[in-house]
Amino acid sequence: MSFLGYALVSIVGTLLRLVPWSSQTGLLEIGRPDRDSPVLLTCNFRLTVERVRRALRGVDAYLLVANSRGINVWCAATGGLLTNHDVLSVLKTSGIEDRVDHRQVILPQLAATGVEGRVLERKSGWKVVWGPVYADDIPLFLDTQLKKGAGMRQVRFPWTERLEMAASWAFPISVVLALITAVFWRHALVSAICVVWVLALVLYMSFPLYGRWLGSGFRGGAVLLAVFAVLWVAAMLVLASYAFALGYAPWGEIGRWGVLTFAVLGVMLIDLMGSTPLYKSGLHEDRILKVVLDEGKCRGVGYCEDVCPRDCYEVNRAQHSAAMPRAHQCVQCGACIVQCPFDALQFQSPRGETITPETIRKFKLNLMGKRVER
Amino acid sequence: MSMYVLMRILESAPGRYDKGLRVLTFGRLESAYDRLVSHVEQGQRVLDLGCGTGALALRSAARGARVKGIDVNSQMLEIARQKAEDAGLVDTVDFCEMGVAELDNEEADFYDVVMSGLCFSELTADELTYALEQAMRIVKPGGLLLLADEVVPGSFGKRLLKGLIRLPLAIVAYVWTQTTTHAVSDLPQKVEGVGFVLKSIRLTNLGSFMELVARKPVEDGE
Repeated sequence: MSFLGYALVSIVGTLLRLVPWSSQTGLLEIGRPDRDSPVLLTCNFRLTVERVRRALRGVDAYLLVANSRGINVWCAATGGLLTNHDVLSVLKTSGIEDRVDHRQVILPQLAATGVEGRVLERKSGWKVVWGPVYADDIPLFLDTQLKKGAGMRQVRFPWTERLEMAASWAFPISVVLALITAVFWRHALVSAICVVWVLALVLYMSFPLYGRWLGSGFRGGAVLLAVFAVLWVAAMLVLASYAFALGYAPWGEIGRWGVLTFAVLGVMLIDLMGSTPLYKSGLHEDRILKVVLDEGKCRGVGYCEDVCPRDCYEVNRAQHSAAMPRAHQCVQCGACIVQCPFDALQFQSPRGETITPETIRKFKLNLMGKRVER
Repeated sequence: MSMYVLMRILESAPGRYDKGLRVLTFGRLESAYDRLVSHVEQGQRVLDLGCGTGALALRSAARGARVKGIDVNSQMLEIARQKAEDAGLVDTVDFCEMGVAELDNEEADFYDVVMSGLCFSELTADELTYALEQAMRIVKPGGLLLLADEVVPGSFGKRLLKGLIRLPLAIVAYVWTQTTTHAVSDLPQKVEGVGFVLKSIRLTNLGSFMELVARKPVEDGE
């Protein structure tokens, strides 16, 4: 794909990031692969497919695009839209088995919340390797005999990604707002859209200032409320001083701007945590769960460490044991629980109820973060 | 029947799937399934691809067939199993969590009937071809393929009309579930392409829902 095409897909894909965008599923050739070339797999979210292809320039490999219903890997896997069936299906029906002599497929690590590696291996005869979180790390991963350091396993939220999230919230809100203001408040249309983009950028760019104080419990909510209050008051002060500078302060107009900024900030903040890779969605029930390790069952094989996107685990391979020294970083994605071959991990609620690995594998989260059990 | 796109919403809440689909299609899906299953006879071996909550599988079992229903959605299967239990059919119907990609594990020339309702429209192009090829392999010579699914209408006018009716429904379903369905195009040609002989095709007025009956030839050149 030309640079122009890639840029276009990137821009459209980012602005409409919150909406699924399907691309063709099946087998893609990257470079000039032969019978020993690595086989990689990704989802069929268009933006992801193009980014993976771009990251793999200069590599000879096969890329399998599995049907994740046009949704990104992490969300699709956690929501039950990218399962072992979808991976098995593309392995069996894409023709890859006739193209390579080996049987090893590299899956994106974030798919581990929904694709049970062991079930897949048993059913397909393919060996599963959990690759890096980010496609950009794949060439290095391939060059270093599939060694994956802690850096390749962890999710990050750098300014580039924060900028993308700001745009992907600002754009749909602008569209809705443009439709509303075009009818009821036409002269404010352009200003309203500018305000949305400025608020989104300020919110996401200043994330490092308040991000670390967020969390699952009461404190996280309080921090979000404080951010909300600070931004809203700041926005109102800017507006008021602007009106003052003009020497004209129509209270009705200022009131309307107040309501508008209040609503826009509310929409953007209500699930701010879910828009970052560093926290579970604040709307999901799972956010209050804790992963507990049964040391009696653990044999220290280290699947948990391999799939944890927050580097919570420390595995002692000599003593065949695992521990969670950084449990406070957990985002309750459940990948470790799904993959543990000995069912040594499970979720526990604050009230002490447990959610077993079997339940977590069987019942995926729906959009509202509920685990539907009949 | 452009309503099938809304079944995506129902699928996200399996407990409401059956009732919702009945309401959405004004019972027409029920009668389509009844007609399809009328080809099933007592004692036959039947495979239901993408059985969901077991609509076709349980109807076939009620006619005295030995049925295997497969689906990739474990939540739907839980409901199907419960329904089998309620209907006293647990001995003759078996529900398995399995996708069409695993059909290569089934014995060749084993089933009298392979059927599927509203499943092909959820498959990828590769999966659809694979499923039809496998169906051809595992059904006995002389056995039947029974399909009921959302299809792309043949004429431009009907495609346009269907598109217009479907659009608002598709938007609602998309907003709710972020997924949609893909009506199958050229289904009869695809079925013939893998070697089946078409017996009958029934289309709705709008040409968007097809009931198809095909037979695997007993020997080449039937």
